Amino acid sequence: MSAEVMDAPPQLVPLNAIFSTDFVEILVPVTTANTMDEVAAAVADHVEGKRVRAQPFRKVVVHRGRKLPGEMTVAEAGFAPLDHVAVEYDLEVPA
Amino acid sequence: MALLKREEWQDFVRDVDWTLTYVDDEAVYPEWFSGTGKVPREAWLAWEEDYKVSYQEYVYTQKEKEASTYAVKAALSRSDTFDHLDEGWKSATKMHFGGVAQVEYTATLAELKMARFGLNGAWRNMATFGQLDELRHNALTTYFGHELVVKDPQYDWTQKTYTTNDWVPISLRTLFDGIMTTSNVVDCALQVPLAFETGFTNLQFVALSADALQSGDINFANMISSIQTDEARHSQQGVATLQILAEHDPTRAQWVIDKAFWGSARAFSALTGPAMDYYTPLEHRKQSYREFMEEWIVDQFVRTIEDYGLKKPWFWDEFMRGLDTWHHSLHMGLWFWRPTIWWRPKAGVSKDERDWLREKYPNWEQTYGDKWDVIIDNVNANNVEATLPATLPYLCSLCHLPCCNPTQSRDGSWRVRNKPLSYDGKTYHFCSNGCRQIWWKDRDNVNHETLVDRFLAGQIQPMDVGGLLNYMSMTPDVMGDDADYEAWTKDYVGRPATGLAVPAGAQA
Repeated sequence: MSAEVMDAPPQLVPLNAIFSTDFVEILVPVTTANTMDEVAAAVADHVEGKRVRAQPFRKVVVHRGRKLPGEMTVAEAGFAPLDHVAVEYDLEVPA
Repeated sequence: MALLKREEWQDFVRDVDWTLTYVDDEAVYPEWFSGTGKVPREAWLAWEEDYKVSYQEYVYTQKEKEASTYAVKAALSRSDTFDHLDEGWKSATKMHFGGVAQVEYTATLAELKMARFGLNGAWRNMATFGQLDELRHNALTTYFGHELVVKDPQYDWTQKTYTTNDWVPISLRTLFDGIMTTSNVVDCALQVPLAFETGFTNLQFVALSADALQSGDINFANMISSIQTDEARHSQQGVATLQILAEHDPTRAQWVIDKAFWGSARAFSALTGPAMDYYTPLEHRKQSYREFMEEWIVDQFVRTIEDYGLKKPWFWDEFMRGLDTWHHSLHMGLWFWRPTIWWRPKAGVSKDERDWLREKYPNWEQTYGDKWDVIIDNVNANNVEATLPATLPYLCSLCHLPCCNPTQSRDGSWRVRNKPLSYDGKTYHFCSNGCRQIWWKDRDNVNHETLVDRFLAGQIQPMDVGGLLNYMSMTPDVMGDDADYEAWTKDYVGRPATGLAVPAGAQA
């Protein structure tokens, strides 16, 4: 990542997101500074335990078919505004 | 003097036309409004319909219909029938009044356009009656709904809905501006009288009328049945126009009908599907939404287009699969985002109701049961707050309804799959392949921004739930809430429940 990106103030990145087996895509705003764990939590906050039963596993962000590491930031992952992400339970990793 | 026989005067009275001398035909019937396209101008001389109504006959017939509709209404206004109607059924009527009343006025404009720019005298004559029909429907629906405002302020949205920026009327305006307001008259005749009226209004006006009678709402059934008798006549403009266009430009006929059918199918899955399969009390349901669609839409539509040499639309398989999912997903969406709607949605998932849903839709439990179970368990844990929205559903850039159509995976599970499209530096999202394909082919005509687009562009301030509700003109006195939580959750009280949201203020 370039120094310019690292030094820039956090920018708002609205996402099209779906949580696990939920029935609908939702609008979830995050910032370029958020980590994938924070993105997963932001998406889950609208759905987990509300429409999809919470499971005792770690949540992982999937973007363009790639599972992204929890500590990676939105800026590092290269999310563009209105990109789609899915948040899935990683059934091999307990929460 | 002996009166002429009907067949001796009908054609030349009805088909009267101008012989233009001071201006040319293009000046009177410009292409952008009349839309003859590849059809030779003289081909429209063959335009014909079977009703051949004279103005005198029209007035007599309509007078009778009006008198009888208002007589039934007057008689029922002295009874307490309305007070005993099921709250779920009342919601079905609120959806109808709000979703239909002012659309009828937009249909008046469409008929007026055909009455002026139609390419044959008989067509313009028929459309003149059509615009009078639609004006009657607008007045009738507005009046019937308005009379109930004293009993329930949500009925005020009969008149109000269509001009608000609530996401449901934005969706309706996108559809109807496309097929009624901005289309040339040839496309309009195929999209409105043919695809929309010959097909889909049957569903709302005939099938819903059956549910209304079963539910004891004679007044509503009486109103929509009266309207449907007009539709049957003026919708004949559709096949009359199709006959000519299919002969000279079948590719255009196919495309125009296909996209209007798709748009109508999406709208009715939101407007009619939940009313039939969830709001109508179980004991009063005649058929499921899918059964009504198969009987009233699918068979008739396919027969009509095949009669004129057209094919099933390219999206047919996706549409047919959607009969098992679209309206169920939209019902869940309307229920979860209930503060944004002007009726009281009934969840309709008690054990008996779920038995019925499983019988009618074998995949229902696997697709929706788990999510309703979490919602039920939250209600029973006194955490209704967990069943209320804190963000927007992502809305489809074509139909403006939530992106919520699941498809089955190879492993049998049902998942909503993202359907994006990048164009001109922006990413768009769609609920279905059909919506994405139509948007792409028609992208220069699509002119409404979704509520999500407006929100992200900063048009809605403040950017929170309160700002959104205010933008949608939603006030606390009409804001939707469940009609009766206990009715559909009491069957499940006391069962063990895990994995629920932690109530606000409680420790995790």
